[in-house]
Amino acid sequence: MKRPYTAVLIIPTGIAAEIGGYAGDGLPVARAIAQVVDCLITHPNVLNGAQLYWNLPNALYVEGYGLDQFAAGKWGLRPVHQNRVGLILDQAIEPELRLRQLQAADATRATLGLNLTDYIITDAPLGVELKTASSGATWGTIQNPDSLLRATEKLISKTGAEAIAVVARFPDDLGSEALQNYRQGQGVDPLAGAEAVISHLVVRTFKCPCAHAPALSPLALDPDLSPRSAAEELGYTFLPCVLVGLSRAPQFVTQGSDLAHPEELWASSVDAVILPASAFGGSAAFNFGDQNQSRSSPLIIAVQQNQTTMNVTPEMLNIKALSVGSYLEAVGAIAAHQSGIHPELLLKPAIAPLRHL
Amino acid sequence: MTTHFITAEIDLQESPLEMQQAIEAELQKRGEPLRWAVTDVDVEAQTAQVEAIVTAADPVEA
Repeated sequence: MKRPYTAVLIIPTGIAAEIGGYAGDGLPVARAIAQVVDCLITHPNVLNGAQLYWNLPNALYVEGYGLDQFAAGKWGLRPVHQNRVGLILDQAIEPELRLRQLQAADATRATLGLNLTDYIITDAPLGVELKTASSGATWGTIQNPDSLLRATEKLISKTGAEAIAVVARFPDDLGSEALQNYRQGQGVDPLAGAEAVISHLVVRTFKCPCAHAPALSPLALDPDLSPRSAAEELGYTFLPCVLVGLSRAPQFVTQGSDLAHPEELWASSVDAVILPASAFGGSAAFNFGDQNQSRSSPLIIAVQQNQTTMNVTPEMLNIKALSVGSYLEAVGAIAAHQSGIHPELLLKPAIAPLRHL
Repeated sequence: MTTHFITAEIDLQESPLEMQQAIEAELQKRGEPLRWAVTDVDVEAQTAQVEAIVTAADPVEA
């Protein structure tokens, strides 16, 4: 008998990850890993493909702020059968574009059977501003965060929403070099950093699942569109994947906040964590990578193949990680680890004899 | 509440956990950390560059 094997797949957003930095193009990796683990914990940037998504029954859709709290051992994850999803629309969205979002939401009710509450429009434009930092990462700020939080509070208290989908009006940025590069499957997703800020604000304040979809004017047809950016140009909204993900996203629990459920997951449940080798600079990597914690440390897997604009490796931060070339090797490493084999033995078969301590 | 993009330079620490604590302590001086990442490490100088979004009740120096 063995306990369930749990892996965490992280592909940080807004850093031009070669795999997972575009329109849900980390999803094939998630599908492959989900096949060899009992439970996969990952985040919207990996699973969201605008109109495209994939139902992974053993995957947990966890927003980045919540994932960081989970990694720190502060929050646990309680799987659910379904969530009532509340929808927040930015007041800045034009009427026609708003209707497109609402029709997409209604479609997920009629076609997928999702449970949505009535929606709410923020009492002020959210004022999303995009920023690309000197590192190449994209970030963003919003001018009216309180309006977002007021809408969330109202949605939860008036409708009993258990998860929150936010659609904010993003600057169209038509003709910009960043947008052109992104459509050709290159460079950094210019929207990603600001999207994360929006969902982080909601999750930090209300401890409930949240994810974001931008509202943008449709783009002119581009015959050179990259396949890995194409999922975002299939329709008028990016909302379906968000609503699907949130509909079964685990609820966050804190220590002693409620009666413990046996199916709850905590950081100590995690057996493996998979990250791009150049993107170890986030809070979750620090927490999972710390070998001095009282809990047993998970296997940390650094994937060299997935290049990003960062150059923050586990070695630089004293994080002990297994370096693999590709996600295919990562899948093999997880299978080996799970079956009791030290994965390094399969990567470097020349074994040195044991030494006296 | 307001949201702000800030940068900071942090000395590298012995362990990842100490590093995280040092980063959050530094960011706390400028607001409540919402999202952050080490985006570069200068191995020679033993420092890390951090980019972050913090929230504040009042505007902070960017």
